[in-house]
Amino acid sequence: MRLGDTMLGGLLLILSAALAGFSQTFPAIPGQTYGAATFPIAVAIGLAGCGVLLMIGGIRAGHRHLEAAEWMLDRRAVVSVALTVLAMIGYILLAPRLGFIPVMAGMLLGLFLLLQVHWLMAIVAAAATTMVIHGLFAGFLLVPLPLGIFPRVSW
Amino acid sequence: MSALGQAFELVFQWQVIGTVFVAAMFGLMVGAIPGLTATMATALLVPLTFFMDPVPAVGAIVTCAAMAIFAGDIPGTLLRIPGTPASAAYTDEAYAMTRKGQAEIALGANLLFSAMGGLFGTFVLIFAAPTLAEVALKFSSFEYFWMALLGLTCAVFIGASSPLRAFVSLFIGLFVSTIGLNNPAGVPRFTFGSTDLLAGIDFIPAMIGLFAVSEVLRSVAAGVPAIGRVQAATGHIFSHWGNLIRTYWRQQIRGNIIGTSIGALPGAGADIAAWVAYALSRKFSKTPEKFGTGHVEGIVESTSANNAAVSSAWIPALVFGIPGDTITAIVIGVLYVKGLNPGPTLFLFNPQAIYAVFIIFILANLVMIPFGWLAIKAAKRLLLVPRKLLMPIILAFCIVGAFASNNATYGIVVMLVFGVLGFIMEENRIPIAPCILGIVIGPMLEDTFVTSMIKADGSFLAFFERPIAAGLGIATILIWLSPLIGRAVRKSGAPGEAGQG
Repeated sequence: MRLGDTMLGGLLLILSAALAGFSQTFPAIPGQTYGAATFPIAVAIGLAGCGVLLMIGGIRAGHRHLEAAEWMLDRRAVVSVALTVLAMIGYILLAPRLGFIPVMAGMLLGLFLLLQVHWLMAIVAAAATTMVIHGLFAGFLLVPLPLGIFPRVSW
Repeated sequence: MSALGQAFELVFQWQVIGTVFVAAMFGLMVGAIPGLTATMATALLVPLTFFMDPVPAVGAIVTCAAMAIFAGDIPGTLLRIPGTPASAAYTDEAYAMTRKGQAEIALGANLLFSAMGGLFGTFVLIFAAPTLAEVALKFSSFEYFWMALLGLTCAVFIGASSPLRAFVSLFIGLFVSTIGLNNPAGVPRFTFGSTDLLAGIDFIPAMIGLFAVSEVLRSVAAGVPAIGRVQAATGHIFSHWGNLIRTYWRQQIRGNIIGTSIGALPGAGADIAAWVAYALSRKFSKTPEKFGTGHVEGIVESTSANNAAVSSAWIPALVFGIPGDTITAIVIGVLYVKGLNPGPTLFLFNPQAIYAVFIIFILANLVMIPFGWLAIKAAKRLLLVPRKLLMPIILAFCIVGAFASNNATYGIVVMLVFGVLGFIMEENRIPIAPCILGIVIGPMLEDTFVTSMIKADGSFLAFFERPIAAGLGIATILIWLSPLIGRAVRKSGAPGEAGQG
């Protein structure tokens, strides 16, 4: 989704107001004018300045406020992007419970099939990639990848 | 034993040499695949460097970055798709040569002059960095404040097509840098009660998200398009080298100087160096009409420039701790993790580590020739790897890499958030690089500003009282005012032109 300059500028103004407002709650360094709030407020002022300039530019140019990107007109592309993000969320939620190997293999298989890789190739590639990554990170580099309910694989 | 002798001992061990070779192959592979940038290669490599000693870790990054920048020329020449943005400046030219059946000349020039450019940048780094470090030892918070601001200013005004959008990206990065407990007052900011956020946003997963996950999402959104057929077989790439050096030695030297100068500017990197060098090559050429028709002159100059910039970008990173480009932004994070705090004191307390890095730079640019030749030979096969297989595999590596940064799922959450943020930013034509520089330089900017203001009792004039600080401050302000000055100059010239017309 592409935001027009006016809309983007407006959004930045709202963000900068929230940022500046929240920054006021930070305690000051006793006896000093400059403290924890100084820098976030400076950033908020910068963001607000950008927002105002974008709004002025957008209003002058008369651009649309909201425009769908080309890929958004293709339902398959939208579904693919959404499912890719969901796959990552799924990994975050499931891997600690079920373990790295089944969740990663499942995620890869799903993504390969989503991208129209032949099913046989998808199964082989998902299994091989999972085991190579597990061997490299858990076996060789000793990264404690989540075990979950899956039996330990010793390399 | 002297520091140099210790450095040679540090480098010439089988683990280090082996790491350099593996990183070289990785860099060549990622750089040669269109859409995967040198920064992405480095970002994907970083989680592996956590498990290495400092010298092989930094060596792996140096080699990977240099190889990826060169390898970006291969698909640019054979397919008209630049492998990395640093190759985009001369992709059309190189492809035009391929269509004329001169792919081997273009690729040979890319390989030879990339290696020579990298070596030139390295020698400047070797000679300039220690001298600058001596100067930097005299710096106070005022000079560092201006250096940090100059770096961010260059990233916005020089490195971006739309400074306004680059500013938006920069402020997003600066905001991210404020999250956590690490601030002059030591109070939690924007943590909303999360203990994970108290340590701030972990830079490595954020970067993997911004550079790699966002690219995967973009590729998926575009339907993971196939690369297409490789246009031509390549002949003997070495046979034209003597002739190229004899004919274009001036362009090569100029490219090296331009690349090194731009690379050394904090915030500007190899991409800009290549564009500037190509434009200057055309401007000073005796045969500018040949440009665009498949002429090697501009390629020589810009391919020299982008690799020279890769090396010289390390000057501000090592000397001041301010990244020269996105790759050195990553490097700074790695150096801190490895206890090699970048800055002038590194030259005092750890000279052997610095010399080891220099030796690896030379080694990386020398092995570029045999490895690059192999990559060119293997290009046809490499370019045929289906992207629909590649993208999920990259995503899997991103997930494990983000997890490995602190052995916690929190890293993957950060990666995902920044991946989606990067995707949305690029959708709205907001560049990513200033955001990364904002995240890296933000803490230094805040720290030096608040410290300076407390020292100066709130007087902003103190930022101009020391000579170097004043010089840096004036340079920064002049860059800020450059659009206004340019507009004023154009306006004052306009009536005259109208009169003439």
